[in-house]
Amino acid sequence: MTELLQAVILGLLIGGVYALMASGLTLVFGVMNIINVAQGAFLIFVAMVTWWLWKHTGIDPILASVITTPMMFGLGWVLYRTVIVRIRGSSPSMSVLLTFGLALTIEGILNITAGNKFKSATPSYFEESFRVGDISLPKSQVYGFLAAMLVLAVLYVVLTRTWMGRAIRASSQNPSGAALVGVGATSTAALAFALGASTSGVGGSILSVLYPFFPASHYDWISRLLGIIVLGGMGSLPGALVGALVLGLAETLTATYGSLRWATLVFYVVILAVLLFRPQGLFGTRLREDVAV
Amino acid sequence: MHRLGSVPRSHLVALLALLVLALYPAVQPYDTYYQTVLFTTFMIGVQAVSWNIISGYGGYISLGHSAFLGIGSYTAAIIALHSGVNPLWVAPLGGVVAVVLAVLVGSVVLRTRGHAFVIITIALLLSAQIVATNWRSLTNGSDGITLDLPPWSRDIQNIPFYLIMLFLFTFTVLFSALIRRTKFGTGLVAIREDEGKAAAIGVDTTRYKVTAYAASAFFIGVAGGVYAYFLTFLNPVGSFSILGSVTIVLAALAGGRGTLYGPVVGAFIVGIGSEMATVYGGSSSRVLIFGLALMIIVLFLPDGLLPTFQKAWRRYRPADTEYTDQAGALGAGTMQVRDRELASAVVADEVEASAEKLAGKPLLEVKGASKAFGGLVAVDGADLVVKQGTITALIGPNGSGKTTLFNLVTGAMKADSGQVWLDGTRIDTKKPWERGHMGLARTFQTTRLFKSMTVLENLVAPLPDAKWSTMLKPSVAGDEAVRARELLAFVGMEKFAAQPAGALSYGQQKLVELAQVLMLEPRLVLLDEPAGGINPSLVGRMVEIVRDLNRQGVTFLVVEHNIPMVLELCDPVVVFSHGKAIAEGPPQTIREDPAVLDAYLGDEWRPPAVTGTPAASDRPQGVR
Repeated sequence: MTELLQAVILGLLIGGVYALMASGLTLVFGVMNIINVAQGAFLIFVAMVTWWLWKHTGIDPILASVITTPMMFGLGWVLYRTVIVRIRGSSPSMSVLLTFGLALTIEGILNITAGNKFKSATPSYFEESFRVGDISLPKSQVYGFLAAMLVLAVLYVVLTRTWMGRAIRASSQNPSGAALVGVGATSTAALAFALGASTSGVGGSILSVLYPFFPASHYDWISRLLGIIVLGGMGSLPGALVGALVLGLAETLTATYGSLRWATLVFYVVILAVLLFRPQGLFGTRLREDVAV
Repeated sequence: MHRLGSVPRSHLVALLALLVLALYPAVQPYDTYYQTVLFTTFMIGVQAVSWNIISGYGGYISLGHSAFLGIGSYTAAIIALHSGVNPLWVAPLGGVVAVVLAVLVGSVVLRTRGHAFVIITIALLLSAQIVATNWRSLTNGSDGITLDLPPWSRDIQNIPFYLIMLFLFTFTVLFSALIRRTKFGTGLVAIREDEGKAAAIGVDTTRYKVTAYAASAFFIGVAGGVYAYFLTFLNPVGSFSILGSVTIVLAALAGGRGTLYGPVVGAFIVGIGSEMATVYGGSSSRVLIFGLALMIIVLFLPDGLLPTFQKAWRRYRPADTEYTDQAGALGAGTMQVRDRELASAVVADEVEASAEKLAGKPLLEVKGASKAFGGLVAVDGADLVVKQGTITALIGPNGSGKTTLFNLVTGAMKADSGQVWLDGTRIDTKKPWERGHMGLARTFQTTRLFKSMTVLENLVAPLPDAKWSTMLKPSVAGDEAVRARELLAFVGMEKFAAQPAGALSYGQQKLVELAQVLMLEPRLVLLDEPAGGINPSLVGRMVEIVRDLNRQGVTFLVVEHNIPMVLELCDPVVVFSHGKAIAEGPPQTIREDPAVLDAYLGDEWRPPAVTGTPAASDRPQGVR
């Protein structure tokens, strides 16, 4: 029983972190129909930067997200303005190929500059745990979870309570209508892409503590995150949250009662099983079409 | 598509290249280095040409296609290891396993439209790697499997592999060419261009996509077995590498995806280029080079080298005839046919016969259908009967739910409640293409032709029944093309057969779209604003065509705002308001019905800006 409870709690903790990482991906897809395959590479890039900062300045890796988040916001904005904007209006599959190329480019640059070795940030609390009754909660996971929840809450407020959030949501529902009332599609898309990228700022900093990483790790991460948004329903934020928790639970439960090596596979099997009954994912809506768009 | 004159030329070049490559080992038998480079290139070619079937023709990108190579490798290696048979003999089984896997995954993921597929393909590759690493009893885990060396002399070790891979490569190209020539191939391109429209013209999109995915897996699986034996060693990381998938995508894109020879050209560029990059740049920079190359191609050369080159060449040498239809002109002289004799062949005899028997019986029945978008009820418990042999009109103000009703009838949308019956069969649970096969066809308010395809290809894309044999018929040659030309002649568009559909005027597109749905041999045609946005003389032609078809037994349900045309052409007229019928009768009665006048002009009337909210189905034209 304790074992089960421990697995569930750990699953929810890590699921919260996954939720944050996937939120940026699903946001970008929901607003501009772009699957950003480079989101995983963003995460690894940030983890590298965090690791470097921690190594050289001693700053706490999770706190380093105060630096990495605006950095990724800026980088996302610049990338959108210089690269992504060029494929606006072409089919979404082109965005997959373009961001896939971007991911490889980032991986290639990291290969050359940071070397092809596993790294991990190990602050002082790295091996410590909180104990609640019989359950032990690793401090790094708890801090990571809290940071992720804080950022998700901020993201929610930004999307629902600010002009920028309303502009992004308006643009995602009806771009031409939004343009008519003064919300420029391109600048809004740049903001949304930057916002999506900025979630990888916090996400990557947390990642650097929780998992060892090296440049090619981004494949594992992007396939996890993409799995989450397929399971939850593409473009749905609540869907990303639920999908992330399912992944977290699938991983910890498989690790507890089976072997960690099969954890990812179990998650993919869950996805296929869900798609069998709900092809649009848990929270996805089917697109409607009547007059040609 | 290639124009007639250029087809033999490209095939000739390909044949010549094949001969040179086949003879090369005889000339340089001991040059193992170049043989290995070319062997790898052929293998990339097998994969890129196969990938092109689902991702080029069909438009569904797979980013994990190298999984099939690994699966083929492991299948052949494991069977060879346990049975002692030479891996080459069991390599085709690798293809079979790859196909089985593609069908299993495809039939789960490819049922809907959208982007889950590309994501699942990445997951497939990584899952395969996880299984190969962890199922140690079968795969020997990360230690990998070592195979016996080939029995032939070391000196010529590579030549058999070289020739086998070249043979596979050639076969894959022929297979791809064959697919592209069938209605299946045309249907795949139709799916890429507009999947909803493809479903509306009888294309079983799920079957097409799953079949294409399976077809794109087979030869890669076979190549996998050959490759494993060539290396005599395989492990999970090498067999299921994402960089292998990148190579495939890069080759197909660089050459030109969606074309027959694009991926072939791309395979040589990428195969030789990547070898050069490794020699001169070192293997550590390969990822960076591939990434940059992919970005550059997507941004600056999205069509790929071959189509871009062809376009430039055509601009430089625009000698080809652009307007006249060569095949039609040189063919059986169907070009100038405009007489009623031939037009009567438009409708199949059995339809005509049954039409006479059943005249006056209800053909389409909508019973209590409802559909709401959030809080907005577009169709509200609507009842509608269309009798056999009539031209029934459906009129009503903008936002009254007419197009949504069409969508419920054709299956583009699912009703919240209510039933739809066609000729005594309940159809509201059937797929759009199944309804198409039963003789239900529609045109769209804004025409939805496949713009990059020629007019003729647009005509042969529809699939009139669910038979596999129909799906595998040749498309732009043979019976289908003859019938397509007849129908084009019937609507007076035969001269434009070789034109890209996107180049036609709006009114011409309406005529072609009507001809297109006639390929389904429909019993009931739903016309959504056939006269909208076209000039009066074309309206006249449209009226004439509809009358003509109706005389031959085709029933029509017409949504139209051109009231004079409706009153002249249609009987009975059904008036829709707020999602249901409020009046029905012959045109002269409807004209004076106070309820109708009220619906159009009375106090419930609102400017289009208010009634035409984004959720309403009849958006005013221009706001898209």
